[in-house]
Amino acid sequence: MTGHQLFQQYQGQTGIWDEMCFGEGIRSQYSRVFEAISQIPVETLLQKDKEAGELFMNQGITFTVYSDDAGIEKIFPFDIIPRILTNKEWDHIHAGITQRLKALNLFLKDIYSDQQILKDGIIPADLIASCPHYTREVFGIKVPHDLYVHISGIDLIRGQDGTFYILEDNLRTPSGVSYMLENREVTKRIFPGMLTQSKARMVNNYPLLLHDILGSLAPQQLSNPTVALLTPGVYNSAYFEHTFLARQMGIPLLEGRDLLVDNHKVYMKTTAGLQQVHVIYRRLDDDYLDPLVFRPDSALGVPGLLSAYRKGNVAIVNAVGNGVADDKAVYAYVPDMIKYYLNEEAILPNVPTYGLENIDARQYVFDNIGNMVIKRTNQSGGYGMVMGNKASEKELDDIKEAILDTPREFIAQPIIKLSTVPCFIDGKLQPRHVDLRPYALCGPSGIKIVPGGLTRVALREGSLVVNSSQGGGSKDTWVVDL
Amino acid sequence: MLSRIADSLFWLSRYMERCDCVTRAIATNYILSFDSSSHTDFSWRDVIQLFTPTNDEHILQNGDHISNALTYLITDIKNMNSAKVLITRARENARGAQDYITKEVWEQVNQQYHFVNLHAMEDHIRGNRTLEMIEMLDQNSTLFYGVTDSTMPRGQGWNFMSLGKFLERSILSIDTTHAHFRRIDHRVDHAQDILFWKNLLLSLSGYELYLKSYTHGQHNMNVIDHIIFNKNFPRSVIYSLERTRRYLDEIVEDTKIEGSPALQKSFGRICSKVEFADMSIIQDEGLPNFLFSLRNDLVNFSNQLTRIYFSYA
Repeated sequence: MTGHQLFQQYQGQTGIWDEMCFGEGIRSQYSRVFEAISQIPVETLLQKDKEAGELFMNQGITFTVYSDDAGIEKIFPFDIIPRILTNKEWDHIHAGITQRLKALNLFLKDIYSDQQILKDGIIPADLIASCPHYTREVFGIKVPHDLYVHISGIDLIRGQDGTFYILEDNLRTPSGVSYMLENREVTKRIFPGMLTQSKARMVNNYPLLLHDILGSLAPQQLSNPTVALLTPGVYNSAYFEHTFLARQMGIPLLEGRDLLVDNHKVYMKTTAGLQQVHVIYRRLDDDYLDPLVFRPDSALGVPGLLSAYRKGNVAIVNAVGNGVADDKAVYAYVPDMIKYYLNEEAILPNVPTYGLENIDARQYVFDNIGNMVIKRTNQSGGYGMVMGNKASEKELDDIKEAILDTPREFIAQPIIKLSTVPCFIDGKLQPRHVDLRPYALCGPSGIKIVPGGLTRVALREGSLVVNSSQGGGSKDTWVVDL
Repeated sequence: MLSRIADSLFWLSRYMERCDCVTRAIATNYILSFDSSSHTDFSWRDVIQLFTPTNDEHILQNGDHISNALTYLITDIKNMNSAKVLITRARENARGAQDYITKEVWEQVNQQYHFVNLHAMEDHIRGNRTLEMIEMLDQNSTLFYGVTDSTMPRGQGWNFMSLGKFLERSILSIDTTHAHFRRIDHRVDHAQDILFWKNLLLSLSGYELYLKSYTHGQHNMNVIDHIIFNKNFPRSVIYSLERTRRYLDEIVEDTKIEGSPALQKSFGRICSKVEFADMSIIQDEGLPNFLFSLRNDLVNFSNQLTRIYFSYA
């Protein structure tokens, strides 16, 4: 059997946007890939699939599953068929994310200083007051260039009519960018010809852009500031990404125990004594950063780090306290923020979101719970999520009860049937739901987004949950000029 | 460089060097066991005892059966010096220093890790692919040296890696020599057949050089001379110590940290012990005493180095 027959057997699902097919036809951005794969026998595709897995394994792009005391290393599943966006689609996404990030940066500056947006009644003050990620400890701290969100991974999904929606703003320590980059490297090896023919836009300058931005945030105007990446350590599930980025940028990868704070300055312990650090790209949550201010039991952080930050002796990236802006309940107000700060309409719409403190909204959600997804506002990674159409009666009753107890901790959104992309699974092409996480970088000279991003796939048939912790995989994502 | 990274690089290198030595000892013994004679018989019990100094009969019994000995030395995680444990530890250290080592070095260590963790490894060893597995381990080890040498940047990290490698190597050469001489009660002045020494010399990759360098005289004396004093032999004690000193000097020069001049002096004293010794001194002191005190000094030096450069936690 050849790829051609595989494509003939492929069918999108009715009522769902398929990224490759419409009716009987193939969308133009997929035509070159379609032609190329049509020529390849299935055995070769299976071989390439296997080869891709080995490439990830040998590079150590794995996570460890422990059973019987012995660690088993597994790779994050990678699907060999790329997800392709047109330049027009990309321009729209680019404009929407840029606009959103401008507004979110202004919101963070406002909320940790004048709080004008609360005074003007655009966002209810009690929503912010009840947000667990609103960090009083950083109120009034000036950050370099008034930039709070330097690195973001905003999640987009595509609805039934092809409209892109913002699903979630990740403004703290979004991960996955190394998969975006490594996925492309793997595609280069398994489909070199196809990639060149399609003229997919380059992504591999991301680490250099990031390095430039980190360097520009040094508190004093130093010609050669010390920039470092702070990791929770080798047991963190994103450790590969931390090493990958540190290596690609040529900066040291630090653990909390490598650092100390003396006289409000941060130093790393080297073989030649102490050396001052000026910029820290931390991949550690706020809670663990400084045991003197946040969780006292944190062994991962650095005592005194926040005092150095407050004095302006070290820049921390992303800024501390960003969680208030990507809170799932605050999310509903982002279009209003865009209007308030920029006087513009949101280019990329939100998924309709119901805050459950409002009695009418709550009743509406309870009446239509079969079509709703309920999310906890303080959790991510697909944890604590209940899909109304899949949950049992008991699960629905439990969640209703929990909502009535603490309505602020939940939001509800109508279930959106995510778009599908063909995936090569068990020797066949099968439609699977995907989202898209473009990685945006904000620096003093503006916002840069490398074309594409990470496409996450729900590999289980019919599943809408793409998170890697819930059986998701990923795909290389191309932006092609048509 | 970060103290933690220096520590990881030092130990990455030490574990890989030890693994290389274990692998070569296994390969040598396995191949020589096919033409066993009274001269060549360095038993599997001896090999096990060399790498897991023990008198525990229960452990030594593994040496009575070739497959048990091989699995104990290669895949048994209860043996702290099995190839699997050593590579796993090396990989943990490489992982902690992953941003510092090159992608190529990381991938090589990682590949070795996955190889030694192959699900079917034990079956292959016990089945009919034994030699193939041993040779693959050996080749992997050689590849590690090649990849490290050709891709790692020179500088402090390299110096710490090399320091670890040569320090470990000098200790291993001492241990291996001691284990073989123990079989003849450390009698340096006796005349053993060259076949008797073949195992030791092959285990240290020094057989061919030995044949070229020593054309007459008693083998027992010559073997000691070769392993301790031959400056052209890359696994001799003196060569390893000289290299260690060279990298230590560079590190001290680079870092100029408190305590480093004292460290340099104490290593200088260890080197002089070998540099200014000869066969008569070894005979006077007795081979086991000479080896034992040298080994002790090296272990103390390693501890002193740790206190000065790696105390970051």
